[in-house]
Amino acid sequence: MSKVWVVVRREFMERVRSKWFIVSTVLGPVLMVAFIAVPIIMASRGTGERTVAVLDASSGGFGERLTEQLDQAPLLRASRVPVPVGRLEEAADSLAELVGFRALHGFVIVTDAAVEDGKLEYRGSNVTSIADMSLLRGLLEDAVFAERLSRAGVDPSVVRRARIPLEFTTLKITGARTTRASGAGSFMLAYVIWFLLYMGILLYGANVMGAVVDEKTSRIVELLVSSLRPFELLAGKILGVGSVGLLQFGIWVGFAMLALEQRDMIARLLGQPGLGAAGSFPEVPLSTAVVFLVYFLLGYFLYAAMFAAVGAMTGSEAEARQAANAVVMVLVLPSLLMIGILNDPAGSLAVALSLIPFTSPIATPVRWAAGEVPPDELVASLVLLLLGLWGVIWVAGRIYRIGILAYGKRPGIRELVRWVTAG
Amino acid sequence: MREAHAVILRDVTKRYSGHTAVAGLSLSIPRGSLYGLLGPNGAGKTTTIRMVLNILLPDEGTIEVLGRPAWDRTLASRIGYLPEERGLYRKMKVLDLLVFLAETRGVGRKEARGKAGEWLERLGLSEWSGRKVEQLSKGMQQKVQFISTVLHDPELLILDEPFAGLDPVNSQVLKDTVVELARGGTTVLFSTHIMEHAEKLCDSVCIIARGRKVVDGPLSEVKRAHGGKHVVLALEEWRDGLIDEALQDRSLVTRVDRYGQYAELELADGAAPQEVLERVLRAGAKVTRFEVSEPSLHKIFIDKVGEVAQ
Repeated sequence: MSKVWVVVRREFMERVRSKWFIVSTVLGPVLMVAFIAVPIIMASRGTGERTVAVLDASSGGFGERLTEQLDQAPLLRASRVPVPVGRLEEAADSLAELVGFRALHGFVIVTDAAVEDGKLEYRGSNVTSIADMSLLRGLLEDAVFAERLSRAGVDPSVVRRARIPLEFTTLKITGARTTRASGAGSFMLAYVIWFLLYMGILLYGANVMGAVVDEKTSRIVELLVSSLRPFELLAGKILGVGSVGLLQFGIWVGFAMLALEQRDMIARLLGQPGLGAAGSFPEVPLSTAVVFLVYFLLGYFLYAAMFAAVGAMTGSEAEARQAANAVVMVLVLPSLLMIGILNDPAGSLAVALSLIPFTSPIATPVRWAAGEVPPDELVASLVLLLLGLWGVIWVAGRIYRIGILAYGKRPGIRELVRWVTAG
Repeated sequence: MREAHAVILRDVTKRYSGHTAVAGLSLSIPRGSLYGLLGPNGAGKTTTIRMVLNILLPDEGTIEVLGRPAWDRTLASRIGYLPEERGLYRKMKVLDLLVFLAETRGVGRKEARGKAGEWLERLGLSEWSGRKVEQLSKGMQQKVQFISTVLHDPELLILDEPFAGLDPVNSQVLKDTVVELARGGTTVLFSTHIMEHAEKLCDSVCIIARGRKVVDGPLSEVKRAHGGKHVVLALEEWRDGLIDEALQDRSLVTRVDRYGQYAELELADGAAPQEVLERVLRAGAKVTRFEVSEPSLHKIFIDKVGEVAQ
């Protein structure tokens, strides 16, 4: 055991003292701050005002009212260009020229068909902007809706009141208890948990692989296995890199909490008081944190062992990266099915993924955060994961033991089976 | 109680898929000896060494090291190992690396630090102890590697092709240190395929070829047993054909091995060295060295391994 400790300490100290660790530890929070700050800055600067024209060939004053409503919307300037129906295309061509000269972002073509059949057309240079188009679409929808009602003889004040938007609140029910967590908040938490698990396992797992390949290519491994059992070396490496991961996560989480707590101040510093509250983050219940930590560690052990085996059976960093794709693919699987899990956290897909040892490290905590994992399912998931972990470490340990001293051609499947089954 | 032998192999066999690397090998390495494991490339030297170190397990046979079975976990702290394929953690600082390697062999941190300092000083690397390994020259890295094998005062030192890739200065440093350790009672097992090194260093040898033992024992006995009279002959100038007549007389000389400036002659049964000298002089050659000797290890090696090859 003490020799494992010697290896753990070396892995930990060498990594923590390295430039890589310092840079990535600092870079993480910088990205986090950027996450919070960039939307605020973007909101303050805006993407600039949009100038649009209303090419009006409609009758009954709809064009005027529409133009007025568009012009009142924030960040939008609208002006009306009346045109007889017969010369519509001609007028559109000359407006298109203005768009070409960047005097105009675009124009809406309004005819009587707009109110009757709901047919409207926008031509412009900013049609690929999802934000611009959804804003415009919303405004146009509102205007057409109001016009139809008033043409049907509804009192304009009734129309105004009918247009008051909804305020839709969602709250998560855990067990039979209504929590304070909002639906969007739970979704966001599940999403963050997925991201941290996926990135963490991939990052540190691949790190273990790199360390194994490095020892093999530098040939120091021959010296190491003359004084350490291969398993001691493997265990020390995985635990050492894992504790670096925990430290780094700890620093990041601490920093993130600080940044969220101080987001008002950050917003003020950026000259946008009030906007800080926009990015609210749900509180993380202790149980979720525990589930996250347990699955992160077990998942990391599982994948780190697989990555180590891959590193041991290949002869170079490049070769290992290529061979590691198979492992990464298994890891990516629950990520590809993330939306499925979030849409129906109690559905059969989510349950299956949280029972399979290779997917449960990511699927179970995500389910836990998004909805509810019944205790028996959680126990079953943990037992299966531990069994899977034991099996994977057994196989990986055997591949590692032989692989680290084997040079030359990468072993085929049959050769690998022989490594695993050999006494 | 100290056993008479540091390492004992009994009928050890190791097979890899397809071929047998070591076949029924038995040998005993006396305590305190400088033991050479000799053989051509691919003879099974490294496999044998790896089995002694318990890096590989033999398929058959038993190995005893320092009075314990080879798999005994306490042995790691009593053995020093310099692998043929050398490597260090390139990004680690020299002193940290040495302390780490000593710790894996059971030396306490503090003690390891002190000893590493002493050795670095002894081999002239003190000022480099805080540098990263990759900043050192190749020769310095070789010294660091060597320090790591002796840092924990091993009773048994195993050196696999220790002179491969060493410059003459480091070769000398290594040789001196090894001899000094052996004088202090350390048993040294080293493998090589360069016979000149073995000739100078070993007191006992074992020659293996194709995984089998060809001959073993104390160097003097091996030479005596090889038999035959040998003469080392050096001329001021080897001119073509000058002494061919003498050397080609099979009743006089049965075999000639030319080594650049000199030749080793194996005399026929009953031939007198004196007669050889006379014939050479009569041919008009200027002799600068004429020495009746035991066969060189090189010659024994070529003869014995050649027999196996045929």
